[in-house]
Amino acid sequence: MKLKKSLARIAPLVVATALTATACDASGTDSSSSSDGKTVVKVALWNYKTTPEFKALIDGFEAKNPDIDVQPVDILADSYPDKVTTMLAGGDTTDVLTMKNVTDYARYATRGQLLPLTDEATKLDKASYSGLDDYNLKGKYYALPYRSDFWVLFYNKDMTGKADMSKLTWDDYAKLAKQFTKGSGSDKVYGTYLHTWRSVVQAISSAQTGGDQLGGDYGFFKDQYDMALGLQKAKAVLPFSAASSNQITYDSQLTTGKAAMVPMGSWWAAALLAEKQQGKNDINWGMAPMPQIKSDGKTVTFGSPTAFAVNKKAKNADAAKKFVTWASGPEGAAAVAKIGVTPAYTSDKILDTFFSVDGMPTDALSRTAMQPTTVKLEMPVSDKTSDIDQILKEEHELIMSGEKSVDAGIKEMDKRVKDEVQ
Amino acid sequence: MSAAAPPVAPPVTKNASPGASAAAHQAAAKRRRRRNLLVGWSFILPNFLGFAALTLVPVIGALAMAFTQWDSYSTPKWVGLDNFQRLWNDSNFWAALQNTFYYAAGHIPLTLGVSLGLAVLLNQKLRGVHVLRTAFFFPYITSLVAVAVVWNMLLSPDSGPVNQFLSFLGVDHPPGWTSSRDWAMPALIIASVWRDMGYYMVLFLAGLQTVPAELYEAARMDGAGPWQRFWHVTLPGLRPTTFFVTVMITVSSFKVFDLVQVMTEGGPGRSTLVLSQLIFREGITQGRFGYASAVSLALFLICLVITVIQFQMQRRSER
Repeated sequence: MKLKKSLARIAPLVVATALTATACDASGTDSSSSSDGKTVVKVALWNYKTTPEFKALIDGFEAKNPDIDVQPVDILADSYPDKVTTMLAGGDTTDVLTMKNVTDYARYATRGQLLPLTDEATKLDKASYSGLDDYNLKGKYYALPYRSDFWVLFYNKDMTGKADMSKLTWDDYAKLAKQFTKGSGSDKVYGTYLHTWRSVVQAISSAQTGGDQLGGDYGFFKDQYDMALGLQKAKAVLPFSAASSNQITYDSQLTTGKAAMVPMGSWWAAALLAEKQQGKNDINWGMAPMPQIKSDGKTVTFGSPTAFAVNKKAKNADAAKKFVTWASGPEGAAAVAKIGVTPAYTSDKILDTFFSVDGMPTDALSRTAMQPTTVKLEMPVSDKTSDIDQILKEEHELIMSGEKSVDAGIKEMDKRVKDEVQ
Repeated sequence: MSAAAPPVAPPVTKNASPGASAAAHQAAAKRRRRRNLLVGWSFILPNFLGFAALTLVPVIGALAMAFTQWDSYSTPKWVGLDNFQRLWNDSNFWAALQNTFYYAAGHIPLTLGVSLGLAVLLNQKLRGVHVLRTAFFFPYITSLVAVAVVWNMLLSPDSGPVNQFLSFLGVDHPPGWTSSRDWAMPALIIASVWRDMGYYMVLFLAGLQTVPAELYEAARMDGAGPWQRFWHVTLPGLRPTTFFVTVMITVSSFKVFDLVQVMTEGGPGRSTLVLSQLIFREGITQGRFGYASAVSLALFLICLVITVIQFQMQRRSER
């Protein structure tokens, strides 16, 4: 009887201990080395199967470093920032973390969750890197970019014919858009497609006029809005309200021949190539430099880099640093250029690799498009960025759907950013 | 066990005083009460533990969090009433509050009316009535994202069938629906009524079974027409169901989130931003869990006050 009682008392303790032990084991998926003695480096990344650059980098690095086993920690792209934030808060030891955007990077770095990589960064040839400066936090670097996307003008060669698109101003672009617009009803094809993101209008005016998106004074957006709304009025572009309510994808507009020109990020090239290989579209596309406000021969556009950082609690910090440095260097750049992704590090050799990808347009115009003079950051980094981004997005929707005039919308942006954020 | 055991009586000694016997009685009763209490607790304990861990503790946590500044990573910082002060001055909060009331003002009476009407219609003995009942219930079990996507297509400003039909009827400028500040909320209300009506119709159908048939017979004999029978027999008979359904729709209206998030994301501008969405945006997207908790506390109080008012009104009408 006594034994029964004691057992009854002990049993829950035993179960609890067993559960805790199991949990420890599960969370400590541990091992800083694999069964064959290799050093294991775990990399947090997103959508591994559909984002071929990660496999390209991992395979390339492992081939050069047979003593290191790089293991992907695959996370869904949409929930990536939230998941990484939670992982870091829970003391996760994943060695390498992919920095999806610069805002998240600044957050992790200022909280002291990343290992400094200043020594590695200062060794790099800055002239060959795009986006490296965006990771400079008061003279220190905590991540190194391995890819850098910027916006170009994609176009359907069969629809644009022999039009010269090498040095377009926005006025030229609007004229061409009207010229390429044809048909009516369900047969209608538009001269261009402007996606619903606010960047399409706002980030480009900010980059090309030098206007500050965090400043609270948004008069510099006006010309670009007038141009976009003018195209809408001329019916040379799918109306914003139709695009947003039907949740139109930019990909479908170009690949189904509904639009002749689409300003979009360089990441799209890899996706278009993959679609072509899978037989999903057979579009004859090319890239031109982004149209400009000033016609001074320079190409100013906007973009955003993607980088790798090393977790401060990394199990194998040295091997992790090795991977990050390799990925951002010439060899990593070659690995991603081979699949049509634009690397942060560029050289003539890397560009040759990029343009030798099967299906990539090889004309001189596409080559020029891939070498802009200046790439400005899409949105400056600050603790106020996300609040201001939300306000600018809301007012953008109202202006583009004709609910507010450009002047009234800009006035509201100024007022709300000053009253609610600054 | 052999034959029936003799009844157990409390041991009584010859010299025991009546007081001592009463004390023994009391002690036995106390023991019995304690044992019953323990048995009772052991029955509700598993359920209570689940409720405590998944509801009670988080609610109390959220209440405490509303007085802190916390980004889910660093240590929470006590900020007193700062979050509530901010709430008072936040134009997003007032916009969301106004939109939530707007949504509720449209969604509650419409859902109530449509589902009651459907229930009365489909309570008749008609051919194929079961198929119709299933058809009306179907939207409720359909994925909400699918509902939102379908309605976005139906309400598309230029190519949607709704606007094409309106144009056919001679409407020159049919609404822009989800891309218009004035029409986005009505669009959400239409979609949500369509989705919810089947569920509440089923509740009303169940309620209709409880209305005694004799009352209808008596009313008919007194010469009452269909409308009078509905007004004087059906509605009073459905009072408990109507009350329950109204409370349920009210609470769900104030908590609306998913449909808005998928159909309009609170836009255009912030014309359809609702309180639950503001909580999500502030907490999950911006990492301001303290402020998000303050907003959720405000939403909780609104729901509580409205539900208490409804209960009071129900009690008064029962008297």
